[in-house]
Amino acid sequence: MKSVVLSFLFLFSTLASAGVFQETSGEALRGLPVQADGRVKPFDSFAREMLELVYGKQKYEKRDAYEIILTWMLAPQTWQSKELFEVRNFDVLTRLGLDTQKRYYKGDELFSGAKFSELRAELASKRETKEKLTPYFQALQRLENQYFVFSEIATGRMIRVLPPKEGDAWISVADMQPGPAQEKFLELTKSFISLIGGMAEGRAESEMAAAKTDLDQKVLAFQELARAENPEKYANDTKIDVESFYNRFHPFKWSYIFYLLGAVIVLFSWITSKHGAMTPAWVFLFLGFGLHTIGFAIRSYLMDRAPVTNMYETVVWVAWGSIVFGGILEKIYKFKFIIMAGALIAAFGMIIADTAPVVLDPSLQPLEPVLRSNYWLTIHVMTITVSYAAFFLAFALGDIGLIYFLKGEAQNKDKIKAIVMSIYRAIQIGVVFLAPGIILGGIWADYSWGRFWGWDPKETWALIALLGYLAVIHGRLVGWVREFGMVACGVLTFSLVIMAWYGVNFVLGAGLHSYGFGAGGVEYVTGFVVAHLLLVVYTAVVRNARLKDVKA
Amino acid sequence: MYKKVLKFLASIKLAVIVIIGIATLTAIGTFVESKYDAAAAKKLVYDSIYMNLVMGVFAVNLIAVMVDRWPWKLRHISFIFAHVGILCIMAGQLITNQFGIDGSMRVGIGDENRFVSLPKTDITVYSSYDGTNYSKIFENEVDFFRSPPTPEKPFSVYKDQIGIKFTNYYPYAVASRETIASDNQKLGSGIRFQISNGQANFIEWLVQRNPTHVVSIDLGPLRVHFGTIPLAGMGVNEIYMKVEGNKIRYALFSKDQIDPKNEGTIEEGQAVPTGWMGLELRILRFLPKAEEKWKVEPRPVPTPLTTEAVEVEFQGKTKHWMLINDTVKFFADDAVFFVSYGNRRFDIGFPIYLNQFHMEKYQGTARAMSYRSVVSIKDLGEREISMNEPLKHNGLTIYQASFQDGPMGQPVASIFSINKDPGRWLKYLGSLIMTLGIIFLFYFKRLGTGVPANTPAKES
Repeated sequence: MKSVVLSFLFLFSTLASAGVFQETSGEALRGLPVQADGRVKPFDSFAREMLELVYGKQKYEKRDAYEIILTWMLAPQTWQSKELFEVRNFDVLTRLGLDTQKRYYKGDELFSGAKFSELRAELASKRETKEKLTPYFQALQRLENQYFVFSEIATGRMIRVLPPKEGDAWISVADMQPGPAQEKFLELTKSFISLIGGMAEGRAESEMAAAKTDLDQKVLAFQELARAENPEKYANDTKIDVESFYNRFHPFKWSYIFYLLGAVIVLFSWITSKHGAMTPAWVFLFLGFGLHTIGFAIRSYLMDRAPVTNMYETVVWVAWGSIVFGGILEKIYKFKFIIMAGALIAAFGMIIADTAPVVLDPSLQPLEPVLRSNYWLTIHVMTITVSYAAFFLAFALGDIGLIYFLKGEAQNKDKIKAIVMSIYRAIQIGVVFLAPGIILGGIWADYSWGRFWGWDPKETWALIALLGYLAVIHGRLVGWVREFGMVACGVLTFSLVIMAWYGVNFVLGAGLHSYGFGAGGVEYVTGFVVAHLLLVVYTAVVRNARLKDVKA
Repeated sequence: MYKKVLKFLASIKLAVIVIIGIATLTAIGTFVESKYDAAAAKKLVYDSIYMNLVMGVFAVNLIAVMVDRWPWKLRHISFIFAHVGILCIMAGQLITNQFGIDGSMRVGIGDENRFVSLPKTDITVYSSYDGTNYSKIFENEVDFFRSPPTPEKPFSVYKDQIGIKFTNYYPYAVASRETIASDNQKLGSGIRFQISNGQANFIEWLVQRNPTHVVSIDLGPLRVHFGTIPLAGMGVNEIYMKVEGNKIRYALFSKDQIDPKNEGTIEEGQAVPTGWMGLELRILRFLPKAEEKWKVEPRPVPTPLTTEAVEVEFQGKTKHWMLINDTVKFFADDAVFFVSYGNRRFDIGFPIYLNQFHMEKYQGTARAMSYRSVVSIKDLGEREISMNEPLKHNGLTIYQASFQDGPMGQPVASIFSINKDPGRWLKYLGSLIMTLGIIFLFYFKRLGTGVPANTPAKES
């Protein structure tokens, strides 16, 4: 209990000192409402998403996205000659006749020649055949998208800032009619330019402060005018503010930092048997967990739904589940390595979610029609994916078990026994969630599509994972799966979960769950699976050799 | 002996093998689906003999293991529940597959439909001696996907007594229309014409089904008709053409005058000015007897543009490709045959009338947010069917599945998925029982794993 109180005191003071509760001066522009991708969002969110698409990151040379995006519109020519466009596909680069070793390219070299038009025509004719796009064409599609987004922002057509008097589509900077709104926006951009210019020249602090205040005022003035235009469409201020806060605060980043710290301290406490170190460990884990939960809650609030509808969101949810299951099992069995495994998975998941935005899209996206307003959907997805958290825990425990087998079976008998038991419990928890989760999926499918079971790849792979773990549990009953077997199965059977969770959407790319399709990262995930397979095989070989020695 | 067999059938070892077997087969199925499509995976894997066999062994194993544990004790409760639950779900699915209906129905806006299209395919042959009264002479279910006909092993109607046989089949083909010359006197003529000026250029075929048939095409600024020349036009710019010996007689009608403004004859390769915006009419090809055929090209994998195609041969003389849900007519000396290959249609017993179709979009985008159909059904009146909100009537459930876009991008028809599931209650009951079993498993943690007390899992 003490650790919980400590955690939150610490958390609050850190946040207050970091100033995340208030907007910094000169940054009111972040919160300017714009319409994009079917919803109204702060300019900051829009800018991050667009920079992400073009450049692959949310910052450009340490400068914030909202600044960068606005300068695209103000000085497009300058940006054309900067290495701004991320292109990573070897074939595409070869076709464009560019150096394949780089990662970022200039707009001039990518789009100005006739080759880009040729590639676009090629993509268009491929689309006409309606065949699945190969990685080459997916890369082309991204390039075309980058081109489109950059030129639409550069011309101001994509920055929709003014709510319409009638209808749904907001008016973009380019389409604003001459009048007060256009004037106010012009003043805003002028103030922005002088601020940026001042920063570049390195003017005095006091002068800059005045420029910042001026920009904030200009932004507010434009917002007032836009609100007067159509107050109803401009009404969700709270959400805009919360989203702006969420962007600045970035709770998930802090959560994995705390998880990592916690895991390291648990490791220290475990190796040195210093139990006193567990209190700070718990403080850090609670902090991480608190921030993780807050981030999750904010996303739910912003989108009015449980955030479990794409790969990014399920990774966040699974990380959350693993720390919860790890904590519960630790409380029951008092084995420190359980919470360590939980914390490591949570940190691992959150780091991946945070650092691979091209594969795991963190933006808040509107839903496909079939997924809207259906609570069975939420329940079945959450139940199934939380079972993945338990299996992930079993997997991490299996890895720890393998290390002990390598270190020496005889010396670590007690620890191995404890680990094997924990793996078994984690698998049981997983099965208890996965089996009903699949059934709930069936109920949802029956309710929405009229089909309880339709052999859809996503549901089928969830079933295959379940069957895999059932085989392990039953194999244990007949003595086919013993101590080493349980450790190995904990690691290997998780491959089925990876297939169900990631592979169906990113490798198979088939079926009704098409709203979750994506591309990228296949080589890393395959490497991850193969590396663990090799680790298991290696451990088995070492162990057998040792057993033979003992017998001889 | 009997005991030994039971012991084997009830063994957990068999269970593990069967579980791994099911997992492997279904995994293969998902890869088949990824490469081809859901229908292929269903036919080749999920409904295959192997899958049924493994499922059969699984059911026997589940039953045998419960018989073997008789008399049951309290500690068996979760194991019994879980296993009975699985059996119920499997039985429910079996009933659904055998007796259920699962098809789709397209209804145009302002139109009605009462037929569900089912995945099963049939060959139907009608014949007529006078060309007007047809009678059905053959109807048979076929599964060309699983057992495709080949030139060596064709599928013949009535052991080839009337000479209709199917000789080739492509599950995935891209089809295009082609027009060829024929010597069949019952067919009509065909022309390929061009209408062009500096900016616009139309090249089209017009083919009559029989010598008296009139075929028309709307090209926007003008309409073209082939087969007749009337006395008066319809008040738009029109070109009428008809065959006159080896030539084509044409007549041009302007939108502001009733009488033909220009009349004459034209031959293949010749051109006449129309007088509208400098457009010129040219006859590129003239076939006195023409027939339209499908030209198909096989593809290795399906795409949204591919379709099923089957080749049908008549009395060793004519050959035609047919697409699925297509018909073809054959002329014998004294009879006409009408052959169809297509999805079975099931009459649901009441028509569904589509009053309106609404689609909501996410603000400022073209992305659909939700869609719903307003339908009228006799006895029910006006009802709404939307995504996730199906309509139940007469034991059928009608779901909003998707919609069809017209040429201008606006929806023109709603597509419903219509289904009847007599196994549903068993599946739900089984789900409930199995879930209870899993809850008991936690409740009686130590008792409920189904382990006989005398054979605990021993660690080596």
